Amino acid sequence: MSELIQLGAQRPKAPAPDQLELRFSDKAIAELDALRTHYPTEKACILPGLWIAQREYDGYLSPAAIAEVAHRLHRSYAEVEGVATFYSMYTTAHQPGRHMIEVCTCLSCHMCGAYRIADYLEAKLGVKLGETTPDGVFTIHEVECLDACDRAPVLQVGDQYVGPVTEADIDALLDRLRNEDSSAVVQLADSIVQVHLRDTERAK
Amino acid sequence: MAEYKLLLEHSHEPEFRTLHGYLARGGYAALNRAKGMERQAIIDEVKTSGLRGRGGAGFPTWIKWNGIEKEKTRPHYLICNADEGEPGTFKDKQLMETTPFLVIEGMTIAALATQADAGYIYIRGEFVDAAKSLRAAIDEAYAHGYLGQNILGTGLNFDLYIHMGAGSYECGEESALMSSLMGERGMPRLKFPHAPLPTVAGVWDQPTIINNVETYAAAVPILAKGGEWYVTLGANTKNSRGTKIFSVSAHVNKPGNYEIEFGTPLMELLDLAGGMKGGALKACVPGGSSVPMLNAEDCQNAILAYEELWETGSMVGSGGCMFLNEHTCIVSYTWRTAQFYAMESCGKCTPCREGTKWMLQILERILRGNGQPGDMDLLMEITKQIDGRSFCGLGDAAAWPVAGAIKKFPEEFEYFIKNGRSMVDTPEARAMAPRWAQRAFSAV
Repeated sequence: MSELIQLGAQRPKAPAPDQLELRFSDKAIAELDALRTHYPTEKACILPGLWIAQREYDGYLSPAAIAEVAHRLHRSYAEVEGVATFYSMYTTAHQPGRHMIEVCTCLSCHMCGAYRIADYLEAKLGVKLGETTPDGVFTIHEVECLDACDRAPVLQVGDQYVGPVTEADIDALLDRLRNEDSSAVVQLADSIVQVHLRDTERAK
Repeated sequence: MAEYKLLLEHSHEPEFRTLHGYLARGGYAALNRAKGMERQAIIDEVKTSGLRGRGGAGFPTWIKWNGIEKEKTRPHYLICNADEGEPGTFKDKQLMETTPFLVIEGMTIAALATQADAGYIYIRGEFVDAAKSLRAAIDEAYAHGYLGQNILGTGLNFDLYIHMGAGSYECGEESALMSSLMGERGMPRLKFPHAPLPTVAGVWDQPTIINNVETYAAAVPILAKGGEWYVTLGANTKNSRGTKIFSVSAHVNKPGNYEIEFGTPLMELLDLAGGMKGGALKACVPGGSSVPMLNAEDCQNAILAYEELWETGSMVGSGGCMFLNEHTCIVSYTWRTAQFYAMESCGKCTPCREGTKWMLQILERILRGNGQPGDMDLLMEITKQIDGRSFCGLGDAAAWPVAGAIKKFPEEFEYFIKNGRSMVDTPEARAMAPRWAQRAFSAV
């Protein structure tokens, strides 16, 4: 796994402070305000704040998205970028496809044939794990244990787990997703934001 | 012995996820009893029950609860560790999805006993269904006075929040979880005796209790029926009381969660899960990926209880029990375990950051057929350099399975290194292997 120890990988540049363009919707600002009441510090809103940003910026925590979270929470860009890049579910490297398909290949899934599922997905979509199809519809990823080992081999698509999957299931899944205009990536981020909020705090 | 469904008794009933359905099945009897008790009496009841933390370490729960200052001078926090990430484990997920009120009631009891002001359920980001189920339950609990101000007339003001993770195994480690909750990278912090216990200075430096989902849920039957009753479960074990949910997966016919009384033989758990699938039993990892594996012979005598399983050479851990059949290439399995820990090491300390990657590189070269003489000794040496020397438990957890597999199946590693191919040369084994390792198995 030499890619694990790649050093000095290209890192996108932060926007200059005077170039900041704020994109959060009124709904997002209200959500962030509600979240502030949940914690004794504003800093604790960084994780949920990044989830809001991932939704507002079409599933991609670009430097502009990170800068907006830093600005709104009164933290430095470096601090928020440091947090964002630590967690695997924040997409900071590149714009993902509309639907992210994550294949668990960890222990139980490995034992139940997950590598053949990963091979099949790669062959079917013509891209490798970690890549996005040229039409921007699918991104596929290998993930560590999703903790749904009773459903091995299991996939995560948006906020849903799919499993145990066969090659035929994947055919059907890809066909279904291709015809869906909504983005599973954005929908996952939104679901995660919503579960933080009480019914009285959620946008009507 | 069969299943003993204490926490999972109603988990198949959708109504149990609603307050109405929960109350109709005896819900909140425990809190109603607890509210008539002194705070210390609640903690003593948990002490009597012998409840030990269900997240993996098995630490006595009452000691945490008892460690919070009795004369309150500052905010007290309660955290539910729902960052279930241990490969092979999926019990907290089911508890949150199907029995959310057990978790909420258990936390409210703990809040009552420790005068907590706010609770945070830290759920791993992937568990959206679990979080939605808890969300609905929390909203309902607020609407009916089971959360919020002056809960059930007790004078307790307790707010409960959900905080979602974002993909990090390390955040299941309690100090890393608190870092993450405070809005930082999920890295561990110094622990006792080098730093105060969380009960003295936890999250935001305030007194904090942090327990696993299953631990909080278990507090409910303990308070409802009494600690004296709870200790009758698992009474034939050395020091494991009550029930434990084991998540059974890999090569079994009916993978799933099975709740059993402590003291149940491992082989009965296998029977509950429908027996082996695709071949005879070869090995078992009984408590999640980080515990040492047992071979088939060990399995025959293994008893599911903390001390008993330790004596057999493994651990209860988080209860993620994976049974592996005869077609499992142990080298391949061990390589995949090593990859998990290399990916999830947070990078804070050198033994774990470097050691996990070295182990992965060596195992990968073996699996590619390029193993070197002496690789087994080298691996064992690295495990010794990580075990006990890393900043938090992740390093230990990475070292144990590698050392355990080499100890239990040395011949498979020797064969692979010597011949450049797997000793388990079956089509099934080949089907499990990653594409780049296919050369190690004969084509059909």
